[in-house]
Amino acid sequence: MWALAGRALRNASRRPQFFVPMLVFPSLLLAANTGGFNRTTALPGFPKVHGFLDYQLAAAITQSLLLGGVSVGIAVALEIENGFFDRLIASPIPRTSIVFGRLAATFCIALVQVLFFLVLGLIFGAEVQGGIGGALLVLLIGAIAGTGFGGIGMSLALRARNASLVQGIFPFAFVILFLSSAFFPMDLLRAPADWVAAYNPLSYIADGLRNPIIAPIDAGAVLEGLAAALGVTAAMTALSVYFLRGRLREP
Amino acid sequence: MTASIRILSAFQRRALNEILRVPGGAIPGVLAPAIFLIGLSGVFGAAGDLKGYQGDFTAYILPFGMLQGATFTGAATGVNLARDIEQGWFDRLLLAPQRRSLLLLGLVSSASLRATLPATFLLLVGFALGVGWPGIGALAIAYVLIMGFAGVIACYASLVALRFRTQQAAPLMQIGGFIAILFTTAYAPLALQSSWLADIARINPVNKILEGVRQGFVPGTVTWDTTWQALVALAVLGLVLGGLAVRSMRRTGR
Amino acid sequence: MPAIEAVELEREFKGGVKAVDGVDLAIDAGEVYGFLGPNGAGKTTTVRMLVTLLRPTGGSARVAGYDVASQPDAVRRRIGVALQEAALDPLMTGTELIELQAKLHGIPPEKVKRRGEELIERVGLVEARDRRVGTYSGGMRRRLDLAMALIHEPGVLFLDEPTTGLDPVSRMTLWDEVRRLKNEGTTVFLTTQYLEEADQLADRVGIISDGRLVAEGTPAVLKGQVGRPHLEIALADGGDRERAVEVLASFGAPRPPAEGFELAVTVAEGATEIAGIVRALDDAHMTVASLELVEPTLDDVFVEKTGRHLEGAGETDDAGGEPAGSP
Repeated sequence: MWALAGRALRNASRRPQFFVPMLVFPSLLLAANTGGFNRTTALPGFPKVHGFLDYQLAAAITQSLLLGGVSVGIAVALEIENGFFDRLIASPIPRTSIVFGRLAATFCIALVQVLFFLVLGLIFGAEVQGGIGGALLVLLIGAIAGTGFGGIGMSLALRARNASLVQGIFPFAFVILFLSSAFFPMDLLRAPADWVAAYNPLSYIADGLRNPIIAPIDAGAVLEGLAAALGVTAAMTALSVYFLRGRLREP
Repeated sequence: MTASIRILSAFQRRALNEILRVPGGAIPGVLAPAIFLIGLSGVFGAAGDLKGYQGDFTAYILPFGMLQGATFTGAATGVNLARDIEQGWFDRLLLAPQRRSLLLLGLVSSASLRATLPATFLLLVGFALGVGWPGIGALAIAYVLIMGFAGVIACYASLVALRFRTQQAAPLMQIGGFIAILFTTAYAPLALQSSWLADIARINPVNKILEGVRQGFVPGTVTWDTTWQALVALAVLGLVLGGLAVRSMRRTGR
Repeated sequence: MPAIEAVELEREFKGGVKAVDGVDLAIDAGEVYGFLGPNGAGKTTTVRMLVTLLRPTGGSARVAGYDVASQPDAVRRRIGVALQEAALDPLMTGTELIELQAKLHGIPPEKVKRRGEELIERVGLVEARDRRVGTYSGGMRRRLDLAMALIHEPGVLFLDEPTTGLDPVSRMTLWDEVRRLKNEGTTVFLTTQYLEEADQLADRVGIISDGRLVAEGTPAVLKGQVGRPHLEIALADGGDRERAVEVLASFGAPRPPAEGFELAVTVAEGATEIAGIVRALDDAHMTVASLELVEPTLDDVFVEKTGRHLEGAGETDDAGGEPAGSP
């Protein structure tokens, strides 16, 4: 399993064209959102924050992690397409370690992504109100959530087996993200976005990531975020293993 | 002359094939900007309550969405070109005894034509979300600018495709237009922006194009002043990027 | 005036690799010229320069009387090209592709239909004409590609490995078509890695290796240069190969044996020497399991000029994706 994780990590580092967009696209959106909407913090109902950048950091992190999940899906689908995956299945290793190895690598990459955005935020004047402990909590929630998103990508790939199909599903990751409180406070969302956002685990993950950044740590928000991230990860890991088993049963 | 038109129409037809003959081929290019529009208006709609938007927030960002659709289409043209280079189809074009600029115009004009698809779809979504009718004149100007902008982005994306000759350069093709339209008054008027963003938007020629597209929606009056600035910005971008792309076509094989 | 003429043609790629290193060609109008060499020898690079897709970095070339570097459009108007990949849009039908090609060559619409139908019929695609190319077999694609290359009635036709990867029947069909074109007076420049193809079709053959032309002439003359036939010998179990070589030394020069044989020797007089050779081996207590008298082929020419066999070279080229890591 660790060898598989190491291989996934090596491949990611050798293919900057997959890795870089995961950081660059959210950074650009973060810049544009912050520059364009910085006055919205004055709107009635907006929580008291140090700046709009601080508020948006969690959105950029969530977005980057979702993109990471898509790229896990594409990587797995490519391995299925070029036959490497079959070779793994044929080798004498526990099948589940194919899933867990990939997710372990995703966890590590997610840590790097979260760290990148925290540092980026600090450079451009954001503050982490929760201090060092808060930053560690952000890293933890982010890495777990990233692993869960990787599980989504992997389940998709095991079902679709086709990289371009996985890529085609990519816009829907944005739909789900938009229909959450990742970008804007829940109270200010309009119908029907607010209704969907209330049931969207991404809302809780983003708010869990955001709380330690914009305010002193609030156990409620953090625990909700952690629970949502763990829930997504557990569900998607199970689904991946289930789909992998399904794949093995086929002639 | 008529031979040139026949060649251009052949390019258009082939580009349409990619939409019409691939099941679901039109969906990603149309859906992504629509998702962006619905998402932005749903999520940031409350921002419209701030003074300075001179109208409904959805109407304000609809033109941005339409231009975004044009950038997706333009970038897709570059990705398709890279695919054609990889698969050898591009050699067939290069072997034609025709001016290289005509071949490029064929590629680019097909992007312009295709860009009307997401733009129109987005317009309908906008109307469904309550955006008011901007008037025929304003729409005509908007479509000219959107189609032209798709061509400009197609030139840029083709330039990248000719340089790297692989579809793996797709993110690079997409990000150029993405940056160009994002650092404008896309989400908020200059007065509401952070000063650094406003500074960039002021010198960004794409902002002129965006305002040209937007004028019929927000503030709702079409002025010659806004229109000619948009057209000049488009022409300058087209000449520069088109010139570079033609040069790159001519240099292919050196 | 030669239909294709190259003087000291050279192409150097980034990093200083000379894919083509001083090639001279003079091909007459109406000639079928076979350009033979293994993968990576410089065949495709040479063709791409002759058809204006690649600029020479040294020397010059004229095709149909025009310089490929300074008058590319004039060259393009007079040549037909079917490149290795048979790049066809899978979403279009055969008829549509022919019409598109006609438009690209500026053929007036009133002529396009008739000419297109003629060509479709000629390459035997009448029934498949309105099907999308994505459903075509490899042989059909090559035939369609050939039809497209002929749409503007070019005087010079370039075929880059037209039968690589084709089944024998499709290969024969294409060969027939090339012969027909030759009878109509078309100059054909044909690259191939198949000896038999060059032998069957070409009036003259050029052999390229490492970017240089190492031999040129009609297949008969080239084979004559290598001269004598040779004998391939397989020994029965326990045969001592080194002793056998010694025994055979008195008959003729040894040469690398073909697959399935232990030794090979050139035999000046052909079949009449076989009995003597078998007897000499027998006297040395070695039993011949099988033997084969081989008349000279272009492969012999290739071995003679480059020290390597041609056929099979590069055919094991692995096109499979990324190198696999340890699981």
